[in-house]
Amino acid sequence: MSQVPNKHKNSAWQATVCDCGRRGFLRSAVAGSMLFPALVRQLLAEDGRDKLGHEPHFPTRAKQVIFLFMTGGVSHVDTFDPKPALTRDHGREIKADHPEIKDRPGYEKIFLKRPQWDFAPHGDCGTQVSTLFPHVADCVDDLALIRSMHTSHSNHYNATLGMHTGSFAFSRPSIGSWLSYGLGSLNRNLPDFVVIAPHQTYAGTQVYASDFLPGPHQGTLVVPGAEPIANVAPRVPRSRQEHELAALEETNEAHAAQHEFDPLLTARLKSFETAFGMQMAVPDAFDLSREDDATMSSYGLARGQTTGFGWQCLVSRRLVERGVRFVELIDTGSSNNWDAHGDMLTHEPLARNVDQPIAALLKDLKQRGMLDETLVVWTTEFGRTPFNNSADAKGREHHPWAFSSWLAGAGVKRGITYGETDEHGMRAVVDPVHVHDFHATILRLMGFDHERLTYRHAGRDYRLTDVHGRVVQGVLA
Amino acid sequence: MADRKALLPRGIEFVCCAVACALGLNTAAALADEGHEFFEKQVRPILVARCYQCHSGAKTSGGLSLETRAGWQRGGDSGAAVVPGKPDESPLIEAINYRSLEMPPSDKGGKLSDAEIVALTTWVTRGAPDPREEQQRIAGMSLEEAKAWWAFQPLPEFHGPASASTVDQFIDAQLHDAGVTANPAADRRTLILRATYDLTGLPPTAAEVRAFVADNSPDAYERLIERLLSSPQYGVRWGRHWLDVVRYADTAGENTDRPLPHAWRYRNWVFDAFNRDLPYDEFVRMQLAGDILLATADPQQRREGIIATGYLAIARRFGHDIDKDIHLTHEDAIDNLSKTFLGLTGGCARCHDHKYDPITSADYYALYGILDSTRLSFPGCEPKGQPRDLVPLLTESEHAELAAPWKAAVAKRDAARQARAAADKVRFKQATEGSLRVLASSLVAEGQSVLLTSSDSANLRVQLRKGDVLQLTVSPNANHGADSTVVDWTIEAANSTTGGSGHRWSVTELVGDLTRANPLPVAHEATWCFLDVTDGAALLDEKQEVVSGHAELHAWRLGELPSAFVNSAAQPVDAWTELPGHSFFVHPGPNRPVAVAWICPYDGDFRISGRVADAHPSGLDGVSFELVHCANPDYSAALLELGQSPVEPIVDPGQEPLMPVAFAAVDSQPHDVPIHERGDPEKPGELVPRRFLAVFGGQLVNADGGSGRAQLAEWILEQPIAARVMVNRIWQGHFGRGLVRSMNDFGSRGEQPTHRELLDWLSARFVASDYSLKETHRLIMHSAAYQRSSSRDPATLTADPENRLLARFERRRLSAEELRDSLLVASGDLDTQPAEAHPFPPEASWNFTQHTPFNAVYETNKRSAFLMVQRQRRHPFLAQFDGADPNASTPRRETTTVPTQALYFMNDPFFHQQAERVAARLADASTDRDRVSRLYVELLQREPSDAERQRAIVFLEKYPGERAAAWAGLARVVLASNEFLHVD
Repeated sequence: MSQVPNKHKNSAWQATVCDCGRRGFLRSAVAGSMLFPALVRQLLAEDGRDKLGHEPHFPTRAKQVIFLFMTGGVSHVDTFDPKPALTRDHGREIKADHPEIKDRPGYEKIFLKRPQWDFAPHGDCGTQVSTLFPHVADCVDDLALIRSMHTSHSNHYNATLGMHTGSFAFSRPSIGSWLSYGLGSLNRNLPDFVVIAPHQTYAGTQVYASDFLPGPHQGTLVVPGAEPIANVAPRVPRSRQEHELAALEETNEAHAAQHEFDPLLTARLKSFETAFGMQMAVPDAFDLSREDDATMSSYGLARGQTTGFGWQCLVSRRLVERGVRFVELIDTGSSNNWDAHGDMLTHEPLARNVDQPIAALLKDLKQRGMLDETLVVWTTEFGRTPFNNSADAKGREHHPWAFSSWLAGAGVKRGITYGETDEHGMRAVVDPVHVHDFHATILRLMGFDHERLTYRHAGRDYRLTDVHGRVVQGVLA
Repeated sequence: MADRKALLPRGIEFVCCAVACALGLNTAAALADEGHEFFEKQVRPILVARCYQCHSGAKTSGGLSLETRAGWQRGGDSGAAVVPGKPDESPLIEAINYRSLEMPPSDKGGKLSDAEIVALTTWVTRGAPDPREEQQRIAGMSLEEAKAWWAFQPLPEFHGPASASTVDQFIDAQLHDAGVTANPAADRRTLILRATYDLTGLPPTAAEVRAFVADNSPDAYERLIERLLSSPQYGVRWGRHWLDVVRYADTAGENTDRPLPHAWRYRNWVFDAFNRDLPYDEFVRMQLAGDILLATADPQQRREGIIATGYLAIARRFGHDIDKDIHLTHEDAIDNLSKTFLGLTGGCARCHDHKYDPITSADYYALYGILDSTRLSFPGCEPKGQPRDLVPLLTESEHAELAAPWKAAVAKRDAARQARAAADKVRFKQATEGSLRVLASSLVAEGQSVLLTSSDSANLRVQLRKGDVLQLTVSPNANHGADSTVVDWTIEAANSTTGGSGHRWSVTELVGDLTRANPLPVAHEATWCFLDVTDGAALLDEKQEVVSGHAELHAWRLGELPSAFVNSAAQPVDAWTELPGHSFFVHPGPNRPVAVAWICPYDGDFRISGRVADAHPSGLDGVSFELVHCANPDYSAALLELGQSPVEPIVDPGQEPLMPVAFAAVDSQPHDVPIHERGDPEKPGELVPRRFLAVFGGQLVNADGGSGRAQLAEWILEQPIAARVMVNRIWQGHFGRGLVRSMNDFGSRGEQPTHRELLDWLSARFVASDYSLKETHRLIMHSAAYQRSSSRDPATLTADPENRLLARFERRRLSAEELRDSLLVASGDLDTQPAEAHPFPPEASWNFTQHTPFNAVYETNKRSAFLMVQRQRRHPFLAQFDGADPNASTPRRETTTVPTQALYFMNDPFFHQQAERVAARLADASTDRDRVSRLYVELLQREPSDAERQRAIVFLEKYPGERAAAWAGLARVVLASNEFLHVD
């Protein structure tokens, strides 16, 4: 079990009172009298989630996270890490003991390869961003851009797993599961951890699995489209379903009453109530009809559209508004993504797909005052090589030594860059930030000491950062 | 066979002896008592209170331990901490005076008091007398601790017959001591439900419940247990428990998550082993070394021995090139092996000695060497292609014998085919000579679609007489591969003198009907024929209802090719290429053109339209087609006659019987491996001989012992902990909790047993019963403790909230598999026959990459234990209801109750389908009252109460929908009820 004490009993009671009104469809007389006290006893266990989370180790302003994950490996030297020397030295042969070229036929010689997009300073801070991200560039005054990220593996599978779980080989709980576990729930009608992805990414469901953490901390997958969450659309007309649920509740209450209100049984009664709430809350969260035209167009969305990264971004804002703790948006899947071995120009449509929606999200959150309590994270699994095996090769290879990511929102310094790569973008040389450090920093922003947010499993205490991690103080406001 | 009486943990004695020799005489004893007294009174309290926090146990700041004499003698990073008799030269004294280091530091309470400093200085001046001997340690435990560790102790002697009442004596004694009253026995309906789910994972039938409840004979319960233990469903249920522990999966888990098409043999072997009560020691030996131990046994046993080593082969694979991450696979195997068989967390010693248990890093690499001397079947991976090293289950001659009937059938077919083709061709030549007119022809290049008609008119219009033939021939070009070709051909009667006008025939309309006949008579007396026109015309007369494993594809073929086939589904089918839905295809063979012929039913004008399209654009050169009109009625007559001629039907010899193989293990070149420093395979350290864990004796693998797996199995079985761990698993299978609640951890971080003597007694009994699981089930299930009611008495709940004392039976939710199986039982659709291989795509078609990994969910009405389990992507249903983790040993299923599960009972299509079938099954009842009764009896194995019946009637009457829907609704209410979902 957790090492973190649990002290928020009062707020649970408040949450309970607020939810009583939802019992409208449960008309049984038993519900009001005999059963209710029994249910109250079970509220803490309830649907299995620890509603209360754990007392943060630090005072904090960030309560929720939107995690933007670009699949395939975004080239840092073409997006957020300007390298004039790389342009200058284009075509120069270099040597590197690089994991992607070791023993690889055709890669006996490697040459520097210049960026294919121009950089320019933006905002008051003057941070340089390439022309691939014109809209995000417009928001640089709100970003803490980390240019010295590095990771432990050059395979998609391992690096993607590592960025999500802190483990580069084994399945472990996802960062979203850790934060769901640590922070507890704000809305019983919605899951705490939602992943919106049009396709599965590398490492499959492991990237949002709760693994050994309790099941309720599992990421709930939303696939953009008409039925975003499985089984949330009623399969029979509402009137019939209510009739059935009322009968089911009556049946189960009578059964529970004969079985000493065993928590195992009453918790399940409660879960139907929550599920019924989800049936309403989920479509509501995904219903964009009441968003105004200006908002829709800022995200690049047409009326009635239920796919695209703009839809994912706008839905993420709506989920955060409704109390979901951790929303991850994955832009593509394990193919047709940023993995530009063949041609860097494939970065263009991928950037276009996400650029405007991300900027719209940041501005929308800011305008609504939500950015003060929401942390926005933008990252990928690794960067791309500043070199290739010929000077005019069109693509770039996997590059675990350096890449860029950024943070924005609650608790984060605004308009800064942190860390540097060398002149060619090969290695993070100033203030390097490993994936474990990145995780430690995100946990810190959410109020947790990464060394103390632990879970006892199979005889030992596990944590997101394993035995590593160092908080990047330089990005904390 | 192991000597089962040799239960003493010989290993511990061995180590103690060795250590005693090594330490020699206790020189400390020679020191003056006086000095020791000074140490005990003046020095030790200071060390304990002020220094141990950072300088004892695992914590040795600066490398210094102050816990033993040897500790300070060895000293820290800066040499010995104390020089006896010379305080001025002792770094310890320097540090406490804050002259060099400042110890203890300010954040640990700051400088010692003057008196304390004087005491320590005096102690050093007096020669630093210190009686504290260094304890011999094995990783996380001292030798003394390991020697005394409860789980390593010998089992008690077992005498006399075993009786379930002995089980109760142990439990009742603890209840009595705690002053807790046990629940009374459960009622008989509860008992049969409990026992049936427990032993088979399925509900009893209503008739079985009725019979048992009415059976007052004293041995009714005993007969029930015997019946259940002899049911083949027992092995499926208990075998699945074992598969949980060994993290069974049907995929490899590496970056592409490849299927393991042969792993099912191990799965089924486990189920079968439980069913025949294979003694547990044999069960262990088979899984670790069946290939070695049964190498010279009879063929059946030899096969079994190979299949059983599937346990080793299903270790998870990692990464892109799995050979590069083989150290992770070995870690997975060592972790699982030590947990599964020994209840120890051995995987923890990969990077360093185990912190809490007596397992050293050298132990880990001693086992690693055994595994590394074993060749596991290779599942394939992205850079290294397809599977290999699968282990043949037959010798070459056995296989030849198996394949002989098939070879004979092939020869017979070929002869028949040849004879017939020769005759057919002659007739064709005679009939068509001089009467052919080409209407259209074209090349269809790679990926192209070409209209049948010429470019200047939409339709081709021809005048035909009854009996004329239109024939569309598709031929391969130079390269004959990948020539699947879509034919979309329509003929319409435009203006007929004898037949009707507006009649229309299209090959696309044949998709549901193709294999009915060839020639295929269709509407308005027209006929289609599908032909090989290589040298004449021969009917494609081999019917194939399932093509390449796809039930939607049906074909006529002559040999492998040519063929005419259809995709009857509305959706595309991903076969050798993506075949569009609702389409007709032909596939010419190498230099063997294929033709579709249409026999005209009446005189008139006909319009021809359509197209020919390359359906598999990767063959580079496309195909050609030619549309001809044959005006000689002899030809159509010959075709029709061909179809009717009473020739011997050609028998499809079916698939060649392939060599059956297992995903299994065999010995490779035996070798030792070095320690990997800090777990890094690139940093080899000292070479470790292959041997067993030091704490159990560290026995070495014999020089002629191969990898050492056979010896490893014996060493494991010699340890009493092996029986304890398995008995605990059996107990947990019945009570939901083990007597040791940390089932995979009997080490120092695990839990102590709630009933140690009971566990020891049962374990001894287990060994004495020739390791019989079924005997152990009997002992447990005949106990009063097992048969208690599950009611939750408030006093008992307060006294023992976790039910450690077993005053009640613990209610449980159905497992994922039990739930799905119970729903299928309710609908009447459950197929209890064992499944075999999964319908994976054929190996030759695999092109999985990390970008497009394998991913599938296969529907089946077999028991849920046979569902295909993937490592990278959890099976959606099993994941939702707390199924086992296919990546890590799951010794016990947790039970979560989450709203998405409730959504399943509200809206899932499978759930709704079962409820609708339940309702339909009961439709023949005469009255509503009767039907409600039947519903309760079928689903809950009991009659409804009057109140329940009344509520159900009201439910039906007030249901806002028609009556059939109301019954399905009522079935859903019962299927979603807590009573259906829980075992009391």
